[in-house]
Amino acid sequence: MTQPSDKPRHSGGSRSPIAAHPVLSAVIAILIFASIFFAVWVPLYASATPKIGDFPFFYAYLLIYMPVLGIVMWIVITLQARLRPRAGTKRTAGADGGEVTR
Amino acid sequence: MSNVNAVTFTIVVVLFLVVTLTGFAAARWRRAEDMLHLNEWGLGGRGFGTFVAWFLLGGDLYTAYTFIAVPAAMFGAGAVTGYFAVAYTIIVFPIALIFLPRLWSIARVHHYVTPADFIRGRYGSRGLALAIAFTGILALMPYIALQLVGIQAVLTVMGVGTTSGNTFVEDLPLFIAFLVLAIFTYVSGLRAPALIAFIKDALVYVMIIVAVLYLPTKVGGWGHIFSTAEAHMKTINPATHKPTGVFVPTTGNSQLAFSTLALGSALALMVYPHAVTAVLSTKRRDIIKRNMALLPLYSIMLGFIALLGYVALTDKVTAANVKKANNPQLAVPYLFQHLFPSWFTGIAFSAIVIGALVPAAIMAIAAANLFTRNIFKEFFKPDASPRLETRVSQWVSLIVKVGALVFAVSLPKTFSINLQLLGGIWILQTFPAIVFGLFTRWFHRYALLAGWLAGMLYGTIAAYNVSTPTASHWGGSVNTLWGHTYYIGLTAVILNLAVSAVLTLVLRVTRVPAGTDETSQPQYSADPVDTPPPAPAAAVLGSDVSGGDLP
Repeated sequence: MTQPSDKPRHSGGSRSPIAAHPVLSAVIAILIFASIFFAVWVPLYASATPKIGDFPFFYAYLLIYMPVLGIVMWIVITLQARLRPRAGTKRTAGADGGEVTR
Repeated sequence: MSNVNAVTFTIVVVLFLVVTLTGFAAARWRRAEDMLHLNEWGLGGRGFGTFVAWFLLGGDLYTAYTFIAVPAAMFGAGAVTGYFAVAYTIIVFPIALIFLPRLWSIARVHHYVTPADFIRGRYGSRGLALAIAFTGILALMPYIALQLVGIQAVLTVMGVGTTSGNTFVEDLPLFIAFLVLAIFTYVSGLRAPALIAFIKDALVYVMIIVAVLYLPTKVGGWGHIFSTAEAHMKTINPATHKPTGVFVPTTGNSQLAFSTLALGSALALMVYPHAVTAVLSTKRRDIIKRNMALLPLYSIMLGFIALLGYVALTDKVTAANVKKANNPQLAVPYLFQHLFPSWFTGIAFSAIVIGALVPAAIMAIAAANLFTRNIFKEFFKPDASPRLETRVSQWVSLIVKVGALVFAVSLPKTFSINLQLLGGIWILQTFPAIVFGLFTRWFHRYALLAGWLAGMLYGTIAAYNVSTPTASHWGGSVNTLWGHTYYIGLTAVILNLAVSAVLTLVLRVTRVPAGTDETSQPQYSADPVDTPPPAPAAAVLGSDVSGGDLP
């Protein structure tokens, strides 16, 4: 479940993108997991202080989280694109139902 | 209709007319050769780009729930039942990024229209697909009802229709708004909400930016707002002898409730059929991904809208009005009415009403597609032509709305955020089959079915048994298990998973047939460039003669 969304593109022959780029794949997985964790783990930010402007920390934290999340998601997508340099140019896998592997 | 503000009322009516016309005109937008096809009526031709998709998904995910229910919950009980929604709309995007692109790819390759289509193809099980379709339709009812409650809140505050004792006359404006929605959905399909979403978002953004910058200064600034809210949440409620609400969740149980509500809602959101509908209507795989980075912009808004609940609490006139009406749903409408000039109140009210109509339309379309594809065609008329499919969907979209109306009128009024959470409890039970199914065929189809049944039964019974001082049943969506407080949806889906896993092991040992899987691994990351031929999912049904009956 926690793996990045792109599983191997080619079923046989060439190595899967995840195996070919272990570090990149790990970074993607960590970024996705972290962006979930730091919102779910309430004890991290459930505190009225320190105040940020007039906002109690608890409220400010989640508001600031949003734009940061947008940036992190953008980074993840960019990294995912690097896992598959030929995306879109190769034949679309299985679109014609030609290779039904199980 | 004695105390209706003429300016506000006129603006709302005019904008409503604009939206209605747009809804009908949408039928001509990106017009296809044959509109009588589910790909067209139900998925807008599967051709929306990043820009349209952003509006459509935004219009889809940020609903009356956002504008009415979340601030109402903040107003009534503070952070745990209200502000969790902000955490929820954070978590939803990374989670969606994990599985939505795969769902998009597999649906594009096999021309699936609904999530249940995918289940049918993946597990070769009509029964499991039926369970998923049924759950989808069921879960959408309270969610559509929530949109109605939102419209109703605005109409009540406007003073429209509340003077009569007769239920029908009282709710007449709501019926009219709904009838109009039903008709343009029938005519234009998904194109209508997609086009109206532009108007909606423009209005909503204007409303929010003005509200967030202007309103706090009128009531004494954010510092004063937060201290008032904090003091209010600490006061002891005479009915329950407990504090009114939670300002910052510091106890273990309030934190657990906050986390599980946020996580459970986030897991639920993207398996909702209407979310899947919007996702499948996009042109390319990358569009989904890009939107997962762009949509958090929307959620910043949600955070501030939630805080409007506290602003309403701070404004004495609004707080008194809400108390008199005994309906926290009215907090934001009363706040706007009291502090905005009447013309801007009109714009803000229109934003809320239209903001409820757009998702209601998409939800009705999604429910209709589920019925047509996975119940009508699957069990009653396997040789249905695309034309017939579309006709059936159009009619069902009308019926679904009537069902939602029943939900809206019959459930307690204090229930609105729970309407969404109740839908969440049900739809979450489809999560294991759909999302785990995108990654693995390990789970056995019958095990998933049994797990689904267990989760549905437990979730429904547990939710039914939640009582509050004001409601004996359906009083909330969290309950206490072994001394800890959890969102029922999350505990139910864990039970669901446990049953599915154990039974899978049993069924594998006993070698019960696992069903045919028509998908293959590479198809889950495919990105077909071409728009699929307008043939219905020929592969889904062996008996279907694909597209042969098209003129």
